[in-house]
Amino acid sequence: MAAVTEVSVPDLGDFADVPVIEIHVAPGDVVSQEDPLVTLESDKATMDIPSPAAGTVRELRVKIGDLVSRGSPVLVLDTEGAAVEPPPLTDQQEPPTLDAADPVAPEVDSAQGPAARSASMAAQDGAVAAPAGGPPVTALETGPPADFDGVHASPGVRRLARELGLDLTALSGTGPKGRITKEDVIAGVRGPAGGATAAVAAAAASAAGAGAAAAAGAGIPEVPAQDFSKFGPVEVRPLTRIQRLSGPALHRSWLNVPHVTHDDEADITDLDAYRRELDTTAKAEGYRVTLLAFLMKASVSALREFPRFNSSLTPEKDALIYKSYYHLGVAVDTPEGLVVPVIRDVDRKGVLELSRELGAVSARAREGKLTPADLQGASFTISSLGGIGGTAFTPIVNAPEVAILGVVRSKMAPVWDGSAFVPRLMLPISLSYDHRVIDGALAARFARHLCHLLEDVRRLVL
Amino acid sequence: MENQTAEVLVLGAGPGGYTAAFRAADLGKRVVLVDSEPTLGGVCLNVGCIPSKALLHAAKVIAETKEMSENGIAFGPPSIDLDRLRAWKEGVVGRLTGGLAGLARQRKVTTIRGYGRFTSPHELRVDLADGGATTVGFEQAIIAAGSQAVTLPFMPVSDPRIIDSTGALELAEVPRRLLVVGGGIIGLEMATVYHELGAKITVVELLDQLIPDADRDVVTPLAKRVGRQYENVYLKTTLTDVQATPEGLVVSFDGAKAPATDTFDRILVAVGRRPNGKLIGAEQAGVTVDDFGFIGVSKQMRTNVAHIFAIGDVVGQPMLAHKAMHEAKVAAEVAAGKNSYFDARAIPSVAYTDPEVAWAGATENEARAAGVGYGKGVFPWAASGRSLTLGRSEGLTKVLFDEATGRVIGCGIVGPSAGDLISEAALAIEMGADAADIALTVHPHPTLSETVALAAEAFEGTITDLYLPRRS
Repeated sequence: MAAVTEVSVPDLGDFADVPVIEIHVAPGDVVSQEDPLVTLESDKATMDIPSPAAGTVRELRVKIGDLVSRGSPVLVLDTEGAAVEPPPLTDQQEPPTLDAADPVAPEVDSAQGPAARSASMAAQDGAVAAPAGGPPVTALETGPPADFDGVHASPGVRRLARELGLDLTALSGTGPKGRITKEDVIAGVRGPAGGATAAVAAAAASAAGAGAAAAAGAGIPEVPAQDFSKFGPVEVRPLTRIQRLSGPALHRSWLNVPHVTHDDEADITDLDAYRRELDTTAKAEGYRVTLLAFLMKASVSALREFPRFNSSLTPEKDALIYKSYYHLGVAVDTPEGLVVPVIRDVDRKGVLELSRELGAVSARAREGKLTPADLQGASFTISSLGGIGGTAFTPIVNAPEVAILGVVRSKMAPVWDGSAFVPRLMLPISLSYDHRVIDGALAARFARHLCHLLEDVRRLVL
Repeated sequence: MENQTAEVLVLGAGPGGYTAAFRAADLGKRVVLVDSEPTLGGVCLNVGCIPSKALLHAAKVIAETKEMSENGIAFGPPSIDLDRLRAWKEGVVGRLTGGLAGLARQRKVTTIRGYGRFTSPHELRVDLADGGATTVGFEQAIIAAGSQAVTLPFMPVSDPRIIDSTGALELAEVPRRLLVVGGGIIGLEMATVYHELGAKITVVELLDQLIPDADRDVVTPLAKRVGRQYENVYLKTTLTDVQATPEGLVVSFDGAKAPATDTFDRILVAVGRRPNGKLIGAEQAGVTVDDFGFIGVSKQMRTNVAHIFAIGDVVGQPMLAHKAMHEAKVAAEVAAGKNSYFDARAIPSVAYTDPEVAWAGATENEARAAGVGYGKGVFPWAASGRSLTLGRSEGLTKVLFDEATGRVIGCGIVGPSAGDLISEAALAIEMGADAADIALTVHPHPTLSETVALAAEAFEGTITDLYLPRRS
């Protein structure tokens, strides 16, 4: 008889409670090693869990929408040699799940005692059976095992929490007398305490019935629905997965962060000449040196000088968490939508190394092959539209980061040098920041410092 | 019949079974519903809750007209036509079960009439009521196999004068002297009916109070009333023997106040119900059934076999239709992939006796046993204008509050329509309401529902309809 293996979620990076979005196999399917079994979705990436061995799928332990973490059971696999399974049932696709596939031992325990005792007493003596139940079975619960006894929440709210897999015992309520409201559940799913993804939050919003108004937070009125077909032909195309995920994240940042955008411009005439030199050499080696690598180095220098820009507010919003690392998010436009891979330890890398890494990560982003690890941990973000055009824009801070640097296309402009107008290559920059953390003067200093560095690239090495 | 397949098989078409089947169908599942009876609805609709309520209504009409004669409206003694009464009761049942059949058709739920037993974790064999057998293959199953009346081992097996609740509802005759074994809800409801129809009633109960699950103070008004009405109520008494003789059933008692023997024309045995867990081949499916026939389930109503659920009487007390229906929805929703749980905090119980007795959440007995610090507000219906205008004054509304949080944790009510009043308390418990929440909710006056608010006011110390010494 074949060996039975339980396949669980491997260590795919620092994540927890990510939803299963696709299941590629069904009980009875024969799979080879490395065949994708299920697809998980974390932050803005998806990842497949490959089969660890060849075999026959015996029983699924997850369903679409389940939240899993490292070690969560995915399915039960009969490893090969087991292909000679019991003959398929006549009318069934699904094999029996008895025996090894149901390893949960029934908990026939003492709880049945009172039932049996009182009922048998009744049988002999003429009493009504006292309240009692069968033996409890708890091991098969699919949601949080938490008992909601004593939690101050109405039945509807408890059901919503069950649907969303949220543990109400870990949530504090904002309603009268600490009652946990529907809005608390939605916030709990979205917030850091809930630890769930935007997808679940979106589900929460739609499940809440009150709709986007409740989902958006404090009573923001919803845009009324319109029947556009009254005005002309229309076509509905679903958003891509990335767009569906990034939308709520952007909305959350926009609503939570009081944004100010500070514009400045840097004279990059000399920097650009230097970059071209490097790029010519690099091209021969198969990569490109872009302005972005310099912006990253300059940003790290500015972050060191102004550490508030490399901080986050605590959840209680009464303190700042200063980060001693410099991981920069880089917004990348892909056919599926906007993704923000993270380049780690930018302070320890040179322009050429950064250029190579940017090339590689951008390629992976466009192919949709980023892993959750690629997308986590940024302390500051750069969004460059330089390849396209524009004169200025307002990037949205990627909360809980506190600032984001936007750049558009540089252009030759006449600059007064004190005696004459001279043509200089000017780069407009747009720095959006969280005004709770950074005030305008500090932002102006940061932007000036950044421009100053870009204007004389030699300072970058100081 | 050709073999069938189902995405969800439901075994048993009582309130739990049909609810599970309909909910699963509404969630897009292909459902097969198996039951051995000719009509849907199970014990509740066919031989339980519904026909008994029809007869209890008849009993109430008799009782009220009789009592009203003292207040100037006299009808004379009732003329009782048992055949017409039975036909009316059956008409009510037929209307409801027919409605269920229609609901099943509209949902395209396949119903199979026959006795189902599991033969494997994915197959059920059905011995068809019309002869022959068929097999239903299923992906998931919901066991809603219910319960049946417990019989007493020393009873003469086949004597037609010994009946259970089903037999009592058949209304074959009104015996001159009826012995009701078991002073619980079912026994006392049937005693209420037969008393008003003219039988002399004797009730025998093992424990020291009627309806032992409820608090004594809530049962006392009922106990007093039936103590006056019935021939005998023997508490702390057991039957030791029954001999069938042509003259009657000679019963031997063991109890302080009971005679050694007495003779009755009929005996109604209502000593509890036994789950049907052992009668369905559950072990062939790998489902664990305990010695008494209960099937253990999780809060998602799963048995130890992940794709087989169980609900209703077969999973434990209280054996009540409304509990089964809520469990049914959980099971059907989980089977359809939803993350539902049975999270209820209060399952109301109602005895439709006269007066009715109803309770929800914790009783005082339970709160004391659990060591919960509680306070209570009590409102006697003697101070309720509405109750007095019904010609009744013995009722009582008692609400229990958690001392730490002030929230409602339980409620007991006795009096006419108590069963309809208890829902407010159940909602209060589920919503986490406290005394002020109920007391400050404007209740219409004069009503019986007002008594719930007045009990809360009594706890709060804001009541003016009673004079209560100031609480220290």
